[in-house]
Amino acid sequence: MPVYNFKTMAPVPSASDLVDIVLTRTQRKTPTVVHPGYKITRIRNFYMRKIKFTQQTISERLTAMLSDFPRLSDIHPFYSDLCNTLYDRDHYKLALGQINTARQLVDAVARDMIRMVKYGDSLYRCKCLKRAALGRMCTILKRQKASLSYLEEVRKHMSRLPALDPNTRTLLLCGLPNVGKSSFMNKITRANVDVQPYAFTTKSLFVGHTDYRYLRWQVIDTPGILDHPLEQRNTIEMQAITALAHLTCSVLYFMDVSEQCGFSIEQQCNLFRSISPLFANKQLVVVVNKIDAQPYEALEKEKRDMIERLVKEGGSNTTMLQMSNVSEVGVSSVKNHACDKLLASRVDSRVSTNKAESVMNRLQVFYPTARDGVKREAFIPESVLRERERASAEGGERKKTRKSRIGYAPTKDDVDDDDEEEEEGGDETPAESDDEMMVGNGGGGVGDGGRRKKTARELMWENGGPGVWAPDYREQYDLLDPEWRFDAIPQILDGKNIADYFDPDIEEKLRLLEEEEDRLQAEYEAADMERTDGDDDRLNEMESAQVAEIRERVKIARAFKDRSGGRNRPALPREIRGRVKDCHDDDAKLKADAIERRLKKVGVDASAMLERGRKREREGPREKRRQSRDARGADAEMEDVAAAGEEDDDDEDGGNSMKVDGDGRSRSKGAIKRHRKEREESARREQSMTRSHSRPREPSQMGLKDESMAKVARMVEKKGQRKWFGGSGEGDHTKSVHLVKWCNTGKKRNGTHYSR
Amino acid sequence: MATRVAFENSNEIGVFAALTNGYCLTGINRSENFYSVFEAELGAHIPVIHATIAGCRFVGRTTVGNRRGLLVPNTATDVELAHLRNSLPDGIVVQRVEERLSALGNIVACNDHVALVHPDVDRETEDVISDVLGVEVFRQIVGGQALVGSYCKFSNHGGMVHPRTTVEDIEELSSLLQVPLVAGTVNRGSDVLGGGLIVNDWSSFVGLDTTSTEISVIENIFRLSGSGSSSGGGQRGQGQQSNIVTNMRSSLIDQLS
Repeated sequence: MPVYNFKTMAPVPSASDLVDIVLTRTQRKTPTVVHPGYKITRIRNFYMRKIKFTQQTISERLTAMLSDFPRLSDIHPFYSDLCNTLYDRDHYKLALGQINTARQLVDAVARDMIRMVKYGDSLYRCKCLKRAALGRMCTILKRQKASLSYLEEVRKHMSRLPALDPNTRTLLLCGLPNVGKSSFMNKITRANVDVQPYAFTTKSLFVGHTDYRYLRWQVIDTPGILDHPLEQRNTIEMQAITALAHLTCSVLYFMDVSEQCGFSIEQQCNLFRSISPLFANKQLVVVVNKIDAQPYEALEKEKRDMIERLVKEGGSNTTMLQMSNVSEVGVSSVKNHACDKLLASRVDSRVSTNKAESVMNRLQVFYPTARDGVKREAFIPESVLRERERASAEGGERKKTRKSRIGYAPTKDDVDDDDEEEEEGGDETPAESDDEMMVGNGGGGVGDGGRRKKTARELMWENGGPGVWAPDYREQYDLLDPEWRFDAIPQILDGKNIADYFDPDIEEKLRLLEEEEDRLQAEYEAADMERTDGDDDRLNEMESAQVAEIRERVKIARAFKDRSGGRNRPALPREIRGRVKDCHDDDAKLKADAIERRLKKVGVDASAMLERGRKREREGPREKRRQSRDARGADAEMEDVAAAGEEDDDDEDGGNSMKVDGDGRSRSKGAIKRHRKEREESARREQSMTRSHSRPREPSQMGLKDESMAKVARMVEKKGQRKWFGGSGEGDHTKSVHLVKWCNTGKKRNGTHYSR
Repeated sequence: MATRVAFENSNEIGVFAALTNGYCLTGINRSENFYSVFEAELGAHIPVIHATIAGCRFVGRTTVGNRRGLLVPNTATDVELAHLRNSLPDGIVVQRVEERLSALGNIVACNDHVALVHPDVDRETEDVISDVLGVEVFRQIVGGQALVGSYCKFSNHGGMVHPRTTVEDIEELSSLLQVPLVAGTVNRGSDVLGGGLIVNDWSSFVGLDTTSTEISVIENIFRLSGSGSSSGGGQRGQGQQSNIVTNMRSSLIDQLS
């Protein structure tokens, strides 16, 4: 079913606004720069595009307008007639037709002018054609000034029409002016219609809603109708007639028996007769109103007869009810009666067309046939039953306010009066502890105690609101001893998930274990008593103090060892560190000063030892070095020895230290092999040592003869590196000019491509 | 009486809470609004417990239970299990189920006597359900839907099934479950009854969008309104349920067709 919502129609701009909109849009959305030097096709395209774009914009806007406004032949006849009444169908159609024509004209203009631009031979001519095209289109738009402004008015009015659904359950109030239609509307809905003591207070249709039997009912208040021929009715009355004619509804015809409205009962009956054709196929209720001012029974006989005759003429669908808006007598019975009648007729029509078949399963309760003798009882806690009994005992005169039916927990205010009653009842049970609140189905007489526990929501707001406060979920734990609730229970203990060790019989097992432990303890103690004091192998006081001290020192040493020390330099092996004599490392293990200091602290004179060390250092390393260099050149043991001899001669310190390989000749083959292996290894180590040192070695170690050669080598190295500093290298991305423009263009009278 | 509730603007409250005759579980939320609705309504009678399953708050869909026990999926952590165990009274068995279909609330619908289960659940799960919850278990589908927990809801008094269930199917289900049944919707026409409706033998909660017609059908079929529905008053209860047929018929026809 379509929903009639005219509020979404876009505003209609006035003619001059529309022209502005279209032209600005063209200016903004098409290119603006063109030069006479351009190729003529380009110039033509430039202007054709402008014309085409303008035409498209206009066409879009007008089409949107045409599709926004409802076609009167397509919408529900009620709306169609209402529009006819309010806006005049001819005028409306004419306006829309003119807009449509304008659209077609604009299209034609654009088509023609584009055709002409195609033959334009200069920029100026093209421009003139474009101007002409745009001008003509704008003129066409300007001619639509009247229809556009009319359509805007119509749109404004339509968007204010009440959201009236022609197909839903509807009560329609009608009658002469001032008979109490709007007052009744205000009584049964919350539409808040203006009620005044003069005729035609209500000038248009008003819609309100009311609830009855779980359904929503639309109530339509119509303007009063006077009794004259249809042709003479004004717009205000015609709206009421339209509603009466087209809506399937329950009609409430209001009659003022007190005649305070200024119309006699006879006039009111005449109106009823003249509009009675409109009541066909509708549920009709004749509402005898204002019985507070003029009781129906006290009415003159002939007037009563008139009304009753009227009701009889109305046919079987017509009933008569009395009511008064002032004393509110009969208001709800009128509403209920009208609703019931309409509902019954709607249901009849549905059932007769088999529409209800598909929902049959929802209209029927399916009771089980017993399949066995088992009785399946419901389970409702005692406390709930007690509460229900109390509620029913308190009876209907006072409804329980504690239970909120909206989705939030009741606050303190909701229950204030409730508390008093319960105190009277005298079965209040102070429910202070949480455990008692939890008993529930135990039937322990908790009920809902006189002093109600605060809900979590109240606590939350007292403590800072959502996100700030959250309850401690352990508070409601139902444990044997409430003290246990807040015990910290780890999830993992000693690398084991304690849940894996959960056992329902844990208490029993623990008891057994404890018993066993006690027994073992007793046995042990008994055994201990038997032992004699003499062979006590425990430490005495002093010894244990020493042990403690040793342990302490071990601990400290371990701590020192473990600590990273925060030194930002590579960890060198101790051997190398000692050898390098790093001047920054005061604590190097093998540094003489450090050794001396340490030993002094212990109380040992280290001078002799250091002297020996120095002596060895003076001799040792050079010795090794020479050996390794020789090893590179010569393989033979013999040569090695000879070389050692030569080196020895060079040595300024004197050669008496040279006796390392003296007995080399007498060694076995295996020993020689081993020795050679050692030397090779030491040579390799020497090389790696070289790599690990930033300090330049002596020239001899760089493979150069002497200092002068090293100098030359350095210069060469520098020279080799020079061009790379700051210059571009092979890693840099360059792109050379392959063909130089000045070499390759123009006439080539003399010279070559490469020189002129 | 049925209370309208929303969970953080969602009407699918059955996702976030589970209710039985013995206890009520609610999902953990930043605000206590949702919890307190249940607390105010039920707190005096049964424990209302904050819970999560596998760190998730949709406890209504992942758990299933009745007053005898509670089944949780194998995704539930040990801590959560301990929390449930600590919060629930000792008479209620909490049991973890090794079932591939871990949304137990969707695949099982039960009251204190009978359970419907998804046709694909394991045999072991079926056994666990019947042992822990003390119910007869039937493999069934409701209205062509295998997720029986989502598409039907029943208490010991009555039940509601998916609106597209045929009349014959409802009759069969009714004789299986041994409670009166009706087809219906919640949340303004939603067929996901397990999501929009939480009910036990004496109270019920529905999504905030539920219309008054839907609420009155629910109250009638579950025998919730007021004092007439004590366990002994079977005759009166039937009268209440037949309200749907007598008083509400015309409204329902007008609204539904």
